[in-house]
Amino acid sequence: MTQNRRRTGTALIAIGAAGILALTGCTPSETGSDTTTLTVWHYYNTDGQVEALEKLADSFTAEHPDVTVQYEYVPVDQFTTKAVTAAGSETGPDVLVFGASGTYPLAEAGAIEPMDDWWGGYADKDQFPEGVMQRIDGELYGVQGYVNLLGLWYNQDMLDEIGGEVPTTIAELEAVMQKAADAGHQGITLTGKPGLESQWQGFPWFTSHGFSYGDPQAAPMAGTYTMLQDWVGKGYLSREASTWDQTVPFQQFAAGASAFAVNGNWQIGAAKEAAFGYGVAPLPITSDGGVLLGGEVQNVGAFSKNKELAQEFLESTFFSVDGQLTLLDYFGSIPARADAASDSKIGDDPILSVFVDIVQKQGRPSPSPEVPSKNVNEVEGLVGDFWSKAVAGDGTPAQLADDLMAQLVPLLKG
Amino acid sequence: MSSTSAGPSRPSNTRLSSPGLVGPGRAAARRGSALRGDNRLALALPAAAILVALAFWPLLQLGSMSVHEVTAATLNSDWLFVGLDNYAALLASPDFPRAVVNTLVFVVIVTVIGMAGGFAVAVAVSSPTRGASYLLGMMVFVWALPPVVNGSIWKFLLGDRGLLNEVLRALGGSPAGVGFLYDPQLALWSVALVNAWAVIPFNALIFRASLLAVDSEVLEAAEMDGAGPWRRIRHVLIPHARPTATVLAILTVVYAFRSFDFIYVMTSGGPGTASTTLPYLAYVEAFLRLDYGGGAATALIALAVVIVLALFYARDVRRSEEA
Repeated sequence: MTQNRRRTGTALIAIGAAGILALTGCTPSETGSDTTTLTVWHYYNTDGQVEALEKLADSFTAEHPDVTVQYEYVPVDQFTTKAVTAAGSETGPDVLVFGASGTYPLAEAGAIEPMDDWWGGYADKDQFPEGVMQRIDGELYGVQGYVNLLGLWYNQDMLDEIGGEVPTTIAELEAVMQKAADAGHQGITLTGKPGLESQWQGFPWFTSHGFSYGDPQAAPMAGTYTMLQDWVGKGYLSREASTWDQTVPFQQFAAGASAFAVNGNWQIGAAKEAAFGYGVAPLPITSDGGVLLGGEVQNVGAFSKNKELAQEFLESTFFSVDGQLTLLDYFGSIPARADAASDSKIGDDPILSVFVDIVQKQGRPSPSPEVPSKNVNEVEGLVGDFWSKAVAGDGTPAQLADDLMAQLVPLLKG
Repeated sequence: MSSTSAGPSRPSNTRLSSPGLVGPGRAAARRGSALRGDNRLALALPAAAILVALAFWPLLQLGSMSVHEVTAATLNSDWLFVGLDNYAALLASPDFPRAVVNTLVFVVIVTVIGMAGGFAVAVAVSSPTRGASYLLGMMVFVWALPPVVNGSIWKFLLGDRGLLNEVLRALGGSPAGVGFLYDPQLALWSVALVNAWAVIPFNALIFRASLLAVDSEVLEAAEMDGAGPWRRIRHVLIPHARPTATVLAILTVVYAFRSFDFIYVMTSGGPGTASTTLPYLAYVEAFLRLDYGGGAATALIALAVVIVLALFYARDVRRSEEA
């Protein structure tokens, strides 16, 4: 019995060893060379985004058959922590595709490095506007290959039904929403979930009321909250919006439930499912108001073992004309490059051309330059929480604005 | 001592010098016993090492973080010692009192409904009927559902256009519906009730195990003495289940106190911070605002309560074992 076991064990070891030898011996001889794996961390999770990434990888590996692009999805709320922790053990991906609010912590933790030298030698750098550069103390820590931003989606069929026009002011918007409510429809859908998303959603409206991070005052914020609670009270906006992320309200709009939706260019694919005529207009805010230019930031990981290859990957995908048009095709992101943005795909598209117009007329850098870099997450989270409270009616506008200022002002002082 | 009292008829050295029957034998037995004791300790070493690595060490790190300024920017560098500043900032934060009250309300709802519901269901499924078997199977299914799935289903059911609101409208309720998850006065209750619903199967299974030990002759005797179902429950089953209930109540309180997943899925702590509890606040501070020091301080305060409850639990278990 013991002998049998020994023989079996010896045989297994021999088979294992033969297998290992076969694998190690055969692979290089069959391919002729070793392959290099390029790791990319991202938090894309919609179908269009994932398909776009695969398309970018295919185009890169077509030119580099010895390279394998390995994407790793990291949930957005874990991304910064994971990258920072990895940097602590001097590891991490070759490429990071991250949210702009993560730039400061990633840079301070050493997960990304200044890319000025590389960018200075990049032939196409002049195609990129300054607004997509993520700088800390003058050093460049990331570039957005595209921008995402908010616009006012409208249901043309519903407007025709109720006799409404596309609004250019908040008063006009409210007049149309009143007609929609009278006809039994919702006026508008937007995001009110606590946290960063709601800060982004609220920014156009509270800046339109005169609020500025550079000179934070309670009155304009109270005015914004009054407007929101008025919308809820009159039935234009559901209080349920206080729990909605950016996906749910657009699903409501696309299902024909509301006249308007405050949502982004990335919903172009979802909008095509709508069984009604629709369009996009700039948000009907005042000239004081602005729309934050979001979109993911790209940079090479500080601990990449293939830095030059990673740079080449970004230059030929996220930063290239073809790459940016691929992203546009799959999830409607607006190219950051001037030459890509002037492509006929955009100019001829009634939706995309409006978003490009919004970039020019209402676009503001994100995060707001007046917010101290080290407090970006806290400030945006706090302002988003109070937006959520206002939608839910969790306090009077004046009380909410005062409470917000008490916590916000110290953070803005840095 | 023994040699002097042994008496003259028995040589004083007999016992002491007997050839290894008693003295050396005992010594050997002691050595063997000691050796076996050492072996037992050695067997516990792997588990102890894992416990130290996965429980004590992270706890020490958590404690250390709570007295340092630790953010995403400084996580990989030297941490600045700030003493109790993180705790002071937490106590001064307007979110903290609300999170404490929310946590207490949440714990009370989950514990009371979880215990009462668990006992009621246990009584219902303790009889060997087909309906009881079916109910038991369904409960195990509910118990086995991941909280994320469970929470998502309930989020859908409790929505403005969800099943519950549609039923209420059909019954003549307000056309606007009930803001189960977005009314600041209701959101916490809604999540707590769902959490209580999710803990009922576990509690019912434990109570059922306790009730199955009740002698059927006792119940029959009570019935023959004229006790109806309610009196049998009150005077036979409840007293019998009391020791189990004590331990289970502590476990349920701990479960409720550290609940996070249902809040994360159903309300994200909102609207605003209306359903934010201490564990969720710790998550927001550490992973959304990237203030790991503040998050650690919040988590430690929550942990302290759980540890106190765990000590009560350990004491009760020890008492019941001794009894």
